[in-house]
Amino acid sequence: MKRWIIGLAAAFALGVPSTAMAQCSINNETPLTMLSNSFEAWKIMSDAMTSCGNFEGTLDADYRLKVNDALAANPAVFSMVGVSNSTLTPLVADGLVRPLNDLVEQYGADLLPSQLITVDGDIVAISMMVNAQHLMYRADILDVLGLDVPETYPEVLEVAAEIQDSGLVDYPLVGTFGAGWNLGEEFVNMYLGYDTPMFTADNRPNVNNEDGVAALEMLKALGEYMDPEYLSFDSTAAQQKMQQSQAAMTNLWATRAAAMDNAEESEVVGMVEFAAAPAAFAGGAPATTLWWDGISIAANISDEEAEAAFKVLLEGIKYDVLSQHPDAAIWLSNPAIESDVAVGAQASAAGGAPAYPSSNLIGIMHNAAGEFIPAYLNGETSAEEALAAMEDAYLTAAQENGLIN
Amino acid sequence: MNGPSNLHRLPGIWRASSNVLVAVWLLIAIFPIAWLVVMSVKLPIDAFAPNIFDVLGGPETKAQIGGLSTYDLALLILTVILTASVHSARRFLFRPFADTTGELKVGGVILSYLTTALTLGVGALLVTPWVGTALERLTPDGPLSQPLLGATLQHFRAVWIDNAFYVHLQNSLLITGGVVAISLTIGALAGYGLARKSSQIAFWILIIALVFRALPHSTLVTGYLPPFIELGLYGQQFAVIIVLVAINQPFTIWMLRSFFTNVPSSLDEAAMVDGATRLQAFWHVIMPVMWPGVITTGLFSFMLAYNDYLVAALLLDGQSQTMVPAIMQYFNRETTLTDQLEAIAAAVSITGPLFILVLVFQKQIVSGLTQGAVKG
Amino acid sequence: MNNRTFWWFVGPSLFMMVLFIAGPLVGVAVQSFQQQRASFETVERESCTPFGCTTEEATVPITGDDGRIITRTVWVGWDNYAALLNGPAVRNALANPGDALRQLAQIPFWDALRFTVTFALVTLPLVIVLGLLLALAVNTLTEQLKGPTIFVTLLPFIITPVIGALAIRWLFIGDGILTAGLERLLQQEIAMFAQGWTIELMMLGYRVWHVVPFAFVIFYAGLQTVASERLEAAGIDGATRWQKLRHVIVPHLMPLIVFVSLIHLMDSYRVFDEIVGFSASGYRISLQWLTYDFLIPDESGNRSIGRASASAVLTMIGIVVILIPLLRNTWKEQRQA
Repeated sequence: MKRWIIGLAAAFALGVPSTAMAQCSINNETPLTMLSNSFEAWKIMSDAMTSCGNFEGTLDADYRLKVNDALAANPAVFSMVGVSNSTLTPLVADGLVRPLNDLVEQYGADLLPSQLITVDGDIVAISMMVNAQHLMYRADILDVLGLDVPETYPEVLEVAAEIQDSGLVDYPLVGTFGAGWNLGEEFVNMYLGYDTPMFTADNRPNVNNEDGVAALEMLKALGEYMDPEYLSFDSTAAQQKMQQSQAAMTNLWATRAAAMDNAEESEVVGMVEFAAAPAAFAGGAPATTLWWDGISIAANISDEEAEAAFKVLLEGIKYDVLSQHPDAAIWLSNPAIESDVAVGAQASAAGGAPAYPSSNLIGIMHNAAGEFIPAYLNGETSAEEALAAMEDAYLTAAQENGLIN
Repeated sequence: MNGPSNLHRLPGIWRASSNVLVAVWLLIAIFPIAWLVVMSVKLPIDAFAPNIFDVLGGPETKAQIGGLSTYDLALLILTVILTASVHSARRFLFRPFADTTGELKVGGVILSYLTTALTLGVGALLVTPWVGTALERLTPDGPLSQPLLGATLQHFRAVWIDNAFYVHLQNSLLITGGVVAISLTIGALAGYGLARKSSQIAFWILIIALVFRALPHSTLVTGYLPPFIELGLYGQQFAVIIVLVAINQPFTIWMLRSFFTNVPSSLDEAAMVDGATRLQAFWHVIMPVMWPGVITTGLFSFMLAYNDYLVAALLLDGQSQTMVPAIMQYFNRETTLTDQLEAIAAAVSITGPLFILVLVFQKQIVSGLTQGAVKG
Repeated sequence: MNNRTFWWFVGPSLFMMVLFIAGPLVGVAVQSFQQQRASFETVERESCTPFGCTTEEATVPITGDDGRIITRTVWVGWDNYAALLNGPAVRNALANPGDALRQLAQIPFWDALRFTVTFALVTLPLVIVLGLLLALAVNTLTEQLKGPTIFVTLLPFIITPVIGALAIRWLFIGDGILTAGLERLLQQEIAMFAQGWTIELMMLGYRVWHVVPFAFVIFYAGLQTVASERLEAAGIDGATRWQKLRHVIVPHLMPLIVFVSLIHLMDSYRVFDEIVGFSASGYRISLQWLTYDFLIPDESGNRSIGRASASAVLTMIGIVVILIPLLRNTWKEQRQA
């Protein structure tokens, strides 16, 4: 306490500014900006780019609200934007991001082929990290009870029942079941786990079926083993339950894995292990979706600015920067950055988990799921009613946008 | 304040129950805020502990970092007592700055508040840590030297120094200052105009302003984004100032109008008979008696601008961002519990200026409302 | 004051309000009858990601020569309103009276309307009564106690709303210390965020906590102006405490009660922060939350501006309807003045 007080007082007295570590090997002279999501990995990259000079990063959890208008302006308001599977699709469709083929050829020798996001041959983004939800479990608890690591969701339920009976934890499961985006993601994961397409060939919804009901029933069955407040849980809440030893298993984002061993806030250091996401049924692929994050460069800026932006981009995602934070994400980098926390996501990918679909349709269904499934989970509607409501909401929104007639 | 005298003459049971009501309310009012302060100085493991005494005592924080010893606590309490005495003795200490009745003039008031703040700051931030450490060195094994309450300022340090939160403080102060100044200027003009004009049109302006006051903001504000980006106003602080002023105008003109209505119009008419223009009469005759009303209205504008999330979050970018959206970004980053606590520390920090403001202007709020708004 | 001078004085303020409030308002009203549509085609598309390359049929919007999506503005009449109000679902619900309430609660707009109106109408009397009681109680304190009491009382009002809501949320969520305390007191498991009614209760409680200080300070200021002669006179007439309160103090404060009610109804009808702060959207939504939800783009950038505008227009109509009794009052007063 005292050291900090004195440090604070001194810092204010001397007006010491925060000094970003000078990591950048170039001296950028073109004013550049980037709009991105705000989680830790973006802060790491944004800080590294800031050290190149003349760069200003806007880390904004609501970046989706702004990105389209900002890039549509001429000149664009931001020179670079952070993108992911889903958010890139509308930007590419609207011609707002710049093909990077020539810049990659000129400066991108160190990039891995897998880092290049291409659409019909155009490189539209450079990706630097992947993420997925996967199983995290208390190895010590499973050991004590002599249980195997579950590979399917029906097995998860069995294991959860055993743990609950043992009385070691009151609520063996926890998940990102918070109403809205989080729950929508759980539904997409589970439904795609049954390997049934979500839409028909003419873009009509296809979720009010056997698999849809099965997916919802599984979500509800999982919920029975969770803290009753689970409809308000986001990733941080789920992480916290695991850290405080109030849950034994979760299907959580790979970026949260390192937090389990963070001694400052975790009571379960060294006890949590990772595995592929469970499959929806025996023999199925892990019921999770794979995500990537990357950076695109705006179309509506000058070629000179784009070139400068690309060089700064490379500085922000270079090995020397990312390898200082090996556990902050599963980095894509050349040379590779080894991390213990990547095993769960790697196993999920190896097991055949699909990438989160990059289409105009999925966002609408994702939203509808997050909005109408809570009423089913808290017992106000039947599974069929919830699925019908989702399809209705999808049809209304898709018609508004012209996706279907 | 001359409260009606016989309200004071309450029989015992009434008095007791009314005091209980006040006491219960005070507890409810302050508890959530005080709890934030407690959480902000603990490590995550303590701050989010389910046991109330773990949160207060902070055993993990004490074990890992340390905390306040009995010496420190004693010194802090002394500081508070000293500050309180300095403040209550202000009329005596600053006699040269008082008028004949013993009340301090504006300069004296400012000086007395500065002294109070300085006493508190120096006592809590400089004397306590240094003297405390010295005393602990003298008796390293004494019971008084052992940490009693776990506490750490590392979250505040992370917020203010590592994350350069002062940039957002500057932005907030600039925007808040701008909003208050412009809002009051054009609001006072309009309020005066409306108070001195009794025509159909003035009446309708007031009614429509009232309806505007009721509109849901998010709809309006989200509509600003595309044109603002088109016009190059995105990330410009003056654009946010203008928007906040506009949104706040309905309330401002209603407030100020009711203050002006209570200033007799014979005052400005007399000045105009003496040859002053309307504007001169407004500025030289009416405004000087309007300060309580202006301060009260200004405080409402201040709170609106300072606490605004929606407009700033939408129309400002990283470096120009104000404090409230910046804090919400902390929460959204949400990777670790430590982040959450840093956000709480930031939240506690931004409440500081609001505290001071109310502390300083509390009397003016009540007397301002008494004079004006509540009559009109 | 002549007209010319009047306009000079009122002009700047009026200009700002027209530009930033009335203008967008007209825009919202127009958009509530429109939809922005693109045309889509299905193409074969090859794409590569870190997870490999795929070739698949993709539905993509048709773009113009400049590479931008071609959108056209379609006038859809009352379609947006119809989609929002969801007539068929309402008819279905009403056809089955025993189950009607449950089914209505599944239609977002009606669900939001129910909560919003309840929220505004339930908090109103609490705020007025508590504010008044507090003002009367503080007024009887000694002068030395008044200052600090007023200061602490005002805190919930001045604190940044999003932060205040989060502060209360932390006290209750999971094993938050107040929930833990309640559990020990009642000797049973309590989960405050596990069912709608407790969340609703917390949101109501938070709003009352936040607004009572405002009502208090207005009423307290009003009490300072009650003419003591009138109370003395009432005392001589042998009026009881209750009669004095009813026949002297409350009538004196009536304009203030109307004022506070007006402001409070306006603000509480716009309830939004609470839904976000208490992560309530799985159980309770409000009209402004619904509007905002339509407005923000989803994961693939789709947004429902038409329905958002329709929802906003209906919200505005709702607030005007709910304010009519009070507005009529203000109207008469202003007319007389």
